[in-house]
Amino acid sequence: MIELKDCRRKLGPGVEFYCKDFHAQPGAQIALWGPSGCGKSTMLNLISGLLTPDEGMVRIDNQEIQDFGDGKMDQFRGQNFGFIFQTFNLLKPFTALQNVMLGMQFSDTRPQKEWKPRSIELLDRVGLSHRIHSKPTTMSVGEQQRVAIARALANKQKIVVADEPTGSLDPKTAASVMDLLLEMCREEAVTMLMVTHDKSIADSLETHFDCSELVQEVSS
Amino acid sequence: MSLWHIAWNYLWNRWLTTSLTILSVALAVALITAILTLRDETKARFEEEQNAFDIVVGPGSPLQLTLNAVYYLDRPTGSMAYSDYLKLKAHEDVIHAFPVGLGDTVAGYRIVGTEKEMFEYAWENDVTRELRYPFQLADGKFFDGPMQAVVGYQVAKAIGFKVGDEFESIHGNIDMGELGEFDHSDSLYTVVGVLKASGTSNDRAVFVDLTSIWAGHEMHGEAPEAGAEDERMVSAVLVDLYSAALRFSYMDWVMHEIKLTAAMPINQIMRLYNQILGPAIMIMMAIGYIIVLISALSIMIGLYLSIIQRKRDLAIMRALGASAYEIFGAVMIEAFLVTMMGIAAGVVLGKATAYGLGLYMGSNYGFAINSFSVSDQELGFYAIVAIVGLVAGIIPAWQAYRTDVASDLQAN
Repeated sequence: MIELKDCRRKLGPGVEFYCKDFHAQPGAQIALWGPSGCGKSTMLNLISGLLTPDEGMVRIDNQEIQDFGDGKMDQFRGQNFGFIFQTFNLLKPFTALQNVMLGMQFSDTRPQKEWKPRSIELLDRVGLSHRIHSKPTTMSVGEQQRVAIARALANKQKIVVADEPTGSLDPKTAASVMDLLLEMCREEAVTMLMVTHDKSIADSLETHFDCSELVQEVSS
Repeated sequence: MSLWHIAWNYLWNRWLTTSLTILSVALAVALITAILTLRDETKARFEEEQNAFDIVVGPGSPLQLTLNAVYYLDRPTGSMAYSDYLKLKAHEDVIHAFPVGLGDTVAGYRIVGTEKEMFEYAWENDVTRELRYPFQLADGKFFDGPMQAVVGYQVAKAIGFKVGDEFESIHGNIDMGELGEFDHSDSLYTVVGVLKASGTSNDRAVFVDLTSIWAGHEMHGEAPEAGAEDERMVSAVLVDLYSAALRFSYMDWVMHEIKLTAAMPINQIMRLYNQILGPAIMIMMAIGYIIVLISALSIMIGLYLSIIQRKRDLAIMRALGASAYEIFGAVMIEAFLVTMMGIAAGVVLGKATAYGLGLYMGSNYGFAINSFSVSDQELGFYAIVAIVGLVAGIIPAWQAYRTDVASDLQAN
């Protein structure tokens, strides 16, 4: 379960993020929807521990993470979160297989002998069994997003956060990547939070959370 | 996949920059490796040679006398009376004394007139306490009469001399700009022996009986009247004393009683070494250390720029669960790998250079250089380079450690 309560984070002079209350049940697929600059990425970063709130509480799986130290947060994030970004998701010097394995290496929750078979299995499921030894520079953006999906699920993470994952794709590829992402998250029983400014994509998820009023002007 | 693997992949991903950085480290290491190897080895050879003879006596300056009579370099410094040689030999502190008659050459190599007893001479190595025999035959025999020659290893190799060959000597050394006034074409030497390689100046000399030198010069009116034995001349005398402690008193006696120059070869050589080679080596070492610093800077700049270029990669790694320490470690490993590869390449390059120079010195100066020896100072230098390389990695690694994950992930 994900929960935010009275979370504040200063974004700049006279501007802050404030989320009074947010809940997500395990296995939910939620779109964090709103226009650009509304604070939806900040919310995603607060949930995943990439940012810490100045005030308030962030609870993940019954653990309040806002007071975690850096080391503990890194470990917690690696074990519980999978990430998919809009673009430049993969590490260029590494093959598709190595990129997926890296997710497991850093989280250190699975035995090393499982890294490779699990990665190959996931790449097969996203339709890239023929590209496991390809480097990102030789792959299309759609293929790279599929590798990123495999990596986000490699460690059997509880939560996948996706920040505009189809933002750089053409409509046809975007639809196919979206379908794959939702299907894989369902199969793996993973909670998915997706940031998008595209209402049609938000509509394809079972729940919306309107982020349009998260950023507020405050008197300094 | 370990941090080492990750670091290696990032280095390989920018192989050109990495190669250039490794090359700059390698050049610095190679330069200093070659200098230290040559310095240590030449010094070791000189120190070994010091035991060969305690004193050299003759006319001229001490340094010129040493170079000429001990190392067969430089021009002859003049002559001294054979009777003085007999006085030097008769001194109670002397074990051995050998006359040396120089002045003639064959194909640029010195002909050394001496007495056959010198071939039996051996001296003890200070370090290993082993007896060293600088005259060992590879073929033939030692001379036992006039107009017979025993040729050094390098001479035999260069000219192709073998036992039974004959040659004419030339007065002077044209290679050194000395006047080749006349040859001794009416007196032929016969090669009766070829020496084994000794790694000393003997390798590039031809040894003949002193009487052959006198006979050759008599024909040209240089030598005194026959029968006037006391007026026969030699170039220098090599003296072996009962104890090194007797050197100064013996030198004193020579200067006052015989009125000739007496020098300790080792002192002259070390003085030359320190006065000429010392500053040159210092300068080369300083250049080497400057290149090390430049290499360290290039490691730092290369890594720093690389970190700036892959901020997003680092942020992704952090998002995947990598700790800041792991990111710091990966960058430090990159610095370490570049430095170690530079050191390894530099050692190979430096030793190869020393080997090449060793071959040259061996053939030209009779110096045996063991270019594959590694001294403590060299190991210390490699350790310093490794530390400097790691220190150069700290700033980029710190930059990587401080990655602002959230903002770097937003930046495309």
